[in-house]
Amino acid sequence: MLAGTIAVWVFVGALALYAHFRRSSVHKDVLKIAWEQFKLLAIRLPLALLAAGALTRILPQDFIAAKLGGASGFEGVLLGSVFGAILPGGPIVTFPIVVLFMKSGATAAPLVALVTSWSVLALHRVLIYEMPLMGPRFVGIRVASSIVLPPIAGVLAGMLLG
Amino acid sequence: MRTAIEYAVFTALAIIGLATLFALQGPGAVVDSALGSGGLLLEVAPLIAGALLVSAYMQLLVSRERIARLLGDQSGLRGLLIACIAGALTPGGPFAAFPLVVGFYRAGVSLPLLVTYITAWSLLGLQRALVWELPILGHNLMVIRYLVALPLPLIAGLIARRLVKLLPDAKGGP
Repeated sequence: MLAGTIAVWVFVGALALYAHFRRSSVHKDVLKIAWEQFKLLAIRLPLALLAAGALTRILPQDFIAAKLGGASGFEGVLLGSVFGAILPGGPIVTFPIVVLFMKSGATAAPLVALVTSWSVLALHRVLIYEMPLMGPRFVGIRVASSIVLPPIAGVLAGMLLG
Repeated sequence: MRTAIEYAVFTALAIIGLATLFALQGPGAVVDSALGSGGLLLEVAPLIAGALLVSAYMQLLVSRERIARLLGDQSGLRGLLIACIAGALTPGGPFAAFPLVVGFYRAGVSLPLLVTYITAWSLLGLQRALVWELPILGHNLMVIRYLVALPLPLIAGLIARRLVKLLPDAKGGP
């Protein structure tokens, strides 16, 4: 996270420098626009973080592992798609959990559906970043467009593996 | 009005989440969770502040006409392919990608292309696949997952094109 923050601020510095030489009056407008956005986020972001934090703690990992290991075929793919969407956290947290599911007997097709679902739907990412920054219409259309992707990925993976 | 509804939704989500946690695990877990969220807020805040400045600069510096021609509503399949490749090549987590998405959106990039971009970034991002997925999950699962993911950003973009027509924008912009 720290590296990301530093990277973003280096980018801000580069943009500011570039803008300064092109049109030095631009900084004031930039601050005005950023301030407007910030006012919206000041309330939304803390609430979103509270919700995402609680979600992380509610999730029953062992239950998911048992369900996923026992399911087969298309049922497994659908379960993987659903569980993937609610798995919280970034890759450092999630991939070890996926290994846990693998060890409890889940096959490749449901796991591919799960990783795909976690990648495109990622409820915590939607709550923390996307919803506060992009607004409900954007998020609604993006999620609706992506909801079929995890089952497609799982079925394709099943076909590839024969 | 719209912001009032949004605040209500966010408040409801937070209350439901914390209430469920309270019912399942008691008051201690709620305090822990809230403290954790507070810590995360302190971590994310400087990042978000930077992100807002990036998107504001992009909005004012990038030529809307040029963006609209390359990546606007009329950009066709070529636009989708550009968005797909750009997404796969964008490194880093959501903190890196979303400032760009906000900036692109305000600079006039069409919504379906951004759906393709986000999908490609999250599914085909080379950095995440090589740094995290390959070492932890192993090459068998990773290669299959990556192969089946290749067409997905385009599929999502095409669906989003349909949905944008079905759900016209009331006000515009995020």
